[in-house]
Amino acid sequence: MPLLKGTLDLLVLKALSWGPRHSFEIISWIESRSEGRLEITDAAILQAFHRMEERDLITAEWARTSNDRRARYYRLTAAGRAGLRADGDALLDHIHALRRVLTARTSAG
Amino acid sequence: MRRRRARALAEAVAELDAVVEGRVEYLLARGWTPADARAEALRRLGMPLENARYELYQSVRRRERTMQLRELLNDAWDDTRYAIRGLTRRPGFTAVAVLTLAVGIGATTAIFSAVDTIVWRPLPFPEPERLMKVSLIAPQRGRMARNDNMPFSYLKYLAFRDAQTVFERLALFSPTSFNVTEDNTERISGEHVSAAYFATLGVTMARGSAFAPEEDAHPDAPKQVILADGYWKRHYGGDPKVVGRNISFDCNPYQIVGIAAQGFRGLSGGADVFVPITTLSAHTLSFAQSHNYSLVARRKGAVSREQAAAAVQSLGVHVGEVYPDRAPAAEPWSAIARQLDETRAAPLVKRALFVLMAAVALVLVIACVNIANLLIGRAELRRREVALRVALGAGRGRLARLFLTESLLLALAGGAAGVLVAWGGVTLLSRIDPGNALRASARAGMIGAVGFSSIHLDGVALGFALALTALAGLGFGLTPSLHARGRSLPGALRGGLRATDAGSRRLSGRRVLIVTEVALALVLLAGSGLMTRSLLKLLEVDPGFNASGVMAFRIAVPASLTRDRGAGDTRSALPEVYATLVERIRAIPGVTAAAFADCVPVSGGCNGTRIEFLDRPKVSDPSQLPGVGVHWVTPDWFAAMGVPLLRGRRFTDADRQGAPNVVVVSERAAKDFWPDEDPIGKRVALGQGDLEGGAEVIGVVGNVRAVIDEAAKPEVYLSYYQSEQPAAAGFVRTSNDPLLALGPVRQAVHEVLPAAPVFDPQRMSARLTASMARPRFAAGLLALFAAIALGLAVMGIYGVMSFAVSQRTHEIGIRMALGADRSVVLRSVLGEGISLALLGVLIGLAGALAAARGVRALLFNVGPFDPVTYAGMVAVLTAAAIAACWFPARRATRVDPMDAIRAE
Repeated sequence: MPLLKGTLDLLVLKALSWGPRHSFEIISWIESRSEGRLEITDAAILQAFHRMEERDLITAEWARTSNDRRARYYRLTAAGRAGLRADGDALLDHIHALRRVLTARTSAG
Repeated sequence: MRRRRARALAEAVAELDAVVEGRVEYLLARGWTPADARAEALRRLGMPLENARYELYQSVRRRERTMQLRELLNDAWDDTRYAIRGLTRRPGFTAVAVLTLAVGIGATTAIFSAVDTIVWRPLPFPEPERLMKVSLIAPQRGRMARNDNMPFSYLKYLAFRDAQTVFERLALFSPTSFNVTEDNTERISGEHVSAAYFATLGVTMARGSAFAPEEDAHPDAPKQVILADGYWKRHYGGDPKVVGRNISFDCNPYQIVGIAAQGFRGLSGGADVFVPITTLSAHTLSFAQSHNYSLVARRKGAVSREQAAAAVQSLGVHVGEVYPDRAPAAEPWSAIARQLDETRAAPLVKRALFVLMAAVALVLVIACVNIANLLIGRAELRRREVALRVALGAGRGRLARLFLTESLLLALAGGAAGVLVAWGGVTLLSRIDPGNALRASARAGMIGAVGFSSIHLDGVALGFALALTALAGLGFGLTPSLHARGRSLPGALRGGLRATDAGSRRLSGRRVLIVTEVALALVLLAGSGLMTRSLLKLLEVDPGFNASGVMAFRIAVPASLTRDRGAGDTRSALPEVYATLVERIRAIPGVTAAAFADCVPVSGGCNGTRIEFLDRPKVSDPSQLPGVGVHWVTPDWFAAMGVPLLRGRRFTDADRQGAPNVVVVSERAAKDFWPDEDPIGKRVALGQGDLEGGAEVIGVVGNVRAVIDEAAKPEVYLSYYQSEQPAAAGFVRTSNDPLLALGPVRQAVHEVLPAAPVFDPQRMSARLTASMARPRFAAGLLALFAAIALGLAVMGIYGVMSFAVSQRTHEIGIRMALGADRSVVLRSVLGEGISLALLGVLIGLAGALAAARGVRALLFNVGPFDPVTYAGMVAVLTAAAIAACWFPARRATRVDPMDAIRAE
């Protein structure tokens, strides 16, 4: 199922909420948490990184990975953390409301 | 910038590769074959590798652009905050700098407003560049000088109008005044205009309509009048129903047909009413050599300035042929068309304004130099902080930006305060009597359509102030940044503000500024000195009469009282009228003398004619006769005005109609016309006053100046009791303030001449002052600017010398510890300051002498290279410079050697 518009940024922010991670770590974390059910291409995620850097939600820095490869590590900014909190709550509310509507049973049932 | 972006793009590609590699490794770890793993990794990319690269290029480029902008803004904001903190931490410095700038920018903006209004701004008419003023050129005829600004006569205008093809519309106007004879008689200004006047200028009617074109053709139509908007509001409370009603001038009804658009007061600049020229008597209009009317014309759109000028020249010749002048002339009459815009300010007024503009610009430059000086001084004190910042990695560009931000902020504050100063200045300027100070004089044939009172701060002036602010901020902001260059980092960090070679070299930049400042100040002082001396000379001029305790007023004697020559009247009723008026006014308690004369001294606009000497051979060409000013007076006028009798006798009441004709001449006339003879008893004939037949000279009186800054001309006086003259001004001398007598005088005049209003009452002392309004205005403002410049220069010298002393505290301490005398220290500090000042004076002197040519035209009885002025101003400036050095020098002598050495 394709991703809802605007949720990709939230997923990235969430992935970073425990600390800095590099690009592929973020991608694989999102894949494993969603059990592969979200169709996100790698290119889309990379573009999202740039977009979010532009909006000052995350910052990036090159560093060595555990198996000694150069990788770009992303980290939440204060604005990113606040964004995650606010937009995450809003999205959950939204989903909750959708669920109530979509799971409603007919009065006869 | 570019390199940073290239790196970002490379990194984006590297990141892409890293992600692909990351996935390949991940899949390999799960048992995929390398080929399958790579294919899967590329598939998960979601698009071909090339496309992904391209997309990432785009997003990175966008990101970089935004982030760079954000950094720039952040830096600017940081700089601003830093600058504000720095400026508020030193309120004294900031206040001095802001005030200095405020004065500079404010004064410059105020003068700019005046120049803009009077000289630069387009005239307030549609397509003003098509408006031209056409004048006749009268060639030199005998003793009559060539006049290239001769107004038209009505007949010549008609001839010109009917022959011309280059103008769309053209119209005559002539300033005049009317006696409004309603409930209260009142004298108002107006213009006689031809019907197309409003259409030519493009002035619309707020109410009613303009004069119908037929007015030009039908002189017998009912008399009409158009009111100026201001007069309509003042006298009719803006009542719209007034159109169609009548207003009475000199007891004749005029029908109000329209109200002119708001603000329009005619090209003369002060008209309350407009009356068709055709209301003048047919006799007046039919005299071809009666050159009384200015011609304004609107060019056809397709006709260029040059084409119009060429056409007008030949039209002028044509008009001269249609109405030939009797006097023989070397060349034919002609005409000239000037842009209306160029004729709006008298050359001297323009010159005065430009001189003031230049002066005030110099003040602004000095103000900026001073602030640059202050900023450099500050930068010196912040040397350590700057060094620290450099050490911490701040680039030179960043530092320069920091300083620039500070100075721009300072300039902005100064500019804002300057607008307040400008507003005050403009308010003051517009209060100065516009008629006398700056409006073009009617004498010079100029128009006064844009009076000084319309000066106000508008968008243009505010834009000008803003531009000045930015320029000033950049100007004095870049100086310290440049100054901050080439500084050795370790030396600065080591810290002592000790006088070193480097230290004194740094001071040399400020020395240059001091010399500049002193030089500019001297230019201003010299200019102002010349103007002030010129004004003083003007004040010394003996006007030829005793002004104190005298009031002069004008009355308009109704034309109906003059004798009707056509009806064969031989005796005039006017002598009786004047005698009665004098008698009534003298009877007023407190009045010690009363008299009439047709022309008020020092107010210009007197009458002149030719004089012929009957005991000398007849001159065949009348234009070869000398000119002479003609004045009518009542017999007591000389005594009332304190004009001394030098020879012979004054008029008496017995010199009346029927008695032998007599005249009194001025000292100048006696010397010019009878250099080696006694004029008493000589017989002369005059072109006016019915004295063509001759009159006997009975007395010589002192010279009275008609125009204060023009040498006395030969004058001849006639008695009102013997020669008819309706034009009259009354002179009343009282023992106290003469204006107190105005009420009773009005009453007395009203009883004798009910329809003749008393107007323009003024003390003669006030008229004397007003006659010098322009020189006073220019000299006063210039003196103010020079004083400001002097003050700023003194401040600058004081600042630099104080700083130099504080830098040398250590050195002075050592010298004094080694036994140097205090006077030696004093001399060394004073000597340095004075040598700087003298260098500035020297350069300034050269500048002042070069600039003096600019004010030459404005000077009265003072040469542009007047040595007294220059010596005086050099002395003033040098003395001020010494005073400014004295206090820092004194402080230097009080240095305690032990403290100075220990302070390190």
